[in-house]
Amino acid sequence: MNVNSSSGTELSRPSTGVSMATVASNLKTPSNDFVRKLYGILERCEYPDIVRWTETGESFVVLDTGKFTTQILPNHFKHSNFASFVRQLNKYDFHKVKKTPEERQTSQYGELSWEFKHPFFTIHNEEALDNIKRKTTVQKKILLDDSTVLLKPNEQHGLHDNSAVNLILANSVTKDKFNLLKRRVDRLQKELELAKEEKYAAKLEFQKLNSKYNTIVESLITFKSVNDNLMTGFNQLCSMLSSRGFEVPQPFYDQMNRGGNLSKGALNEHKPQKSFDLDTAAASMVPGTMPLAAPSHPSGAAPGDLSLPLAHITASKPPGGLDTNDTSVLKEGFHVLLVEDDAVCIQLCSKFLRKYGCTVEVVTDGLSAISTLEKFRYDLVLMDIVMPNLDGATATSIVRSFDNHTPIIAMTGNIEDQDLITYLQHGMNDILAKPFTKDDLHSMLIRYLKDRVPLVKQQEERERTGDPPQTQPQSQPGSQPQSQPGSAPQTRSHSITQIRPQLQSHQSMQSIEESVSQPSSTVSESDVNALIEDEPLLKKQRVQLKE
Amino acid sequence: MPIPKEIVNWGILSEIVSMDEDDPEFSKSLIIQFIDQAQTTFEQMQNQLEGPKELKALADLGHFLKGSSSALGLQRIAWVCERIQNLGRKKENTLPEKEFLVYQSTLEIPNQGNYYDRRIGDDADDETYLALIARALEQARYEFTLARGELSSYYGCEL
Repeated sequence: MNVNSSSGTELSRPSTGVSMATVASNLKTPSNDFVRKLYGILERCEYPDIVRWTETGESFVVLDTGKFTTQILPNHFKHSNFASFVRQLNKYDFHKVKKTPEERQTSQYGELSWEFKHPFFTIHNEEALDNIKRKTTVQKKILLDDSTVLLKPNEQHGLHDNSAVNLILANSVTKDKFNLLKRRVDRLQKELELAKEEKYAAKLEFQKLNSKYNTIVESLITFKSVNDNLMTGFNQLCSMLSSRGFEVPQPFYDQMNRGGNLSKGALNEHKPQKSFDLDTAAASMVPGTMPLAAPSHPSGAAPGDLSLPLAHITASKPPGGLDTNDTSVLKEGFHVLLVEDDAVCIQLCSKFLRKYGCTVEVVTDGLSAISTLEKFRYDLVLMDIVMPNLDGATATSIVRSFDNHTPIIAMTGNIEDQDLITYLQHGMNDILAKPFTKDDLHSMLIRYLKDRVPLVKQQEERERTGDPPQTQPQSQPGSQPQSQPGSAPQTRSHSITQIRPQLQSHQSMQSIEESVSQPSSTVSESDVNALIEDEPLLKKQRVQLKE
Repeated sequence: MPIPKEIVNWGILSEIVSMDEDDPEFSKSLIIQFIDQAQTTFEQMQNQLEGPKELKALADLGHFLKGSSSALGLQRIAWVCERIQNLGRKKENTLPEKEFLVYQSTLEIPNQGNYYDRRIGDDADDETYLALIARALEQARYEFTLARGELSSYYGCEL
């Protein structure tokens, strides 16, 4: 009892480090029955085919683990399988003699033999066995959780059995281990919390983007309906005017009539094709679409605006196009570079452009486009994509390295989303889907040139005001709007012109950087930003137009 | 997209014709130019098919003629050219049989608008694509004859 109580107190103070083994030896109980049992079997050489001393006698070898498990273990040990027997050996500080695969093959005891060694476990040396002790119990007990240890003495008291204590020890958890696990759980919990937060943030971000997207789509739809309403209003106005005897040379009707003469189905075909056009849809996304509807806005300003084109019409030949009123918005004399390799398209497109008062220059491949843009400046560039020598997208990205603000419009039949993104990333401002109508082209011109003064006119203006003539300016970004002496009537639109090129250059700069750094085309943040940035601009324009 | 029913998309061509106002013969000269261009392109395609057999070159030729034919509203030719372009790029691997492509055919093309058969995949060798392009070229020539006839009767002279 004394011993037990003392050992109990000792155990409850783990730092003293008294081991079970010490307790056991104090009690004069052979601590290593297991080892002695094994020693006996080996000395008596009971199963020479299964287990025996090696030739040197410094180690023993298990020749057949299978027979060892079936014949020796059940009769002599408590272990039900070989692995647990080996574990027990390890606890007494026995070590398996390691062998390389070659050594194992040539081993005299067979490839599958297990050789174990302990410095004090040798042939015919029973006394040395006293030095063999269980090692793990010592450490284990020191590390034991207080509460676990306190239970131990009672158990031990009742049983005095090593194996029982071992069993309990094996099933208990050390304090360190527990603390380790606790820390790990805490860390995992923190990680989980963090992940949750991240997930929440991502969800929020997604919702934000989603709502932005929805707003954009909504405004797009509103645009369309407003546009349609204005169109019908305008048509009504026109028919009213003509019914009251005004001579309205309506190209709109003319065109319809002509179409009707040409083919029975022309009228029907004309409409659905237009509404399907991807380009027109894309057009509403970009600032500058409003002008199409603006002048015919049925507010106070409308009649004044309307009278202007009408006077213009009666004075000169009728300007072609569906939107008669727009021609007044687009100034004459824009210089356009047409990059296209197909003769038919060149003729057609340049014809359209001249119709809208532009002067046209034509080059037929990407390389000449670059060299031409290096030497001369244009108000706008229309660029085919598939061309000999160099494709339009690559040409554009090169042009963007020295010219950031000349609008470059892609003309292409490939209008898959992926392609469109690629073009934009190469620094193109917009896409005009082939085949395009005169009106498609016109709305594109309006979008990019409406608020601009043709370079030629700027030149003339400069010469008149005595500014030093700036021939062939190598396109310093921003130089163009600044050098514009703001003439009184256009000061307001002027301010927008100044905003626009900056925005565009910012956008295209980023696009180049991206196309260089990550050629894989995904919708980049800058694209989205540009869209968002454009949004207030749109509103600004709208407000301005309503004034 | 299935092949368009009408040879000419008048919505597009009539707009070009309207340009004749201040430049008579403008549209006609374009048409004549196109006819010339188409014949040259067909020949180049034929040469490719018989000689170098380069799919990319065929795709580019298809793309080229697609551009000008669609600009003039010659939509059936443009449709066939698009097939040649996509076959040359191996983006498509089938072509509807002739009976579906005959002008005013009452047969509906099965599996409309999708000329890529997953079962075939991209594994087919170039010869397969070349054979399909050869068939498409035949179709393009047929469409060209139709369009030429239609345009001739519109302009009231042999083009």
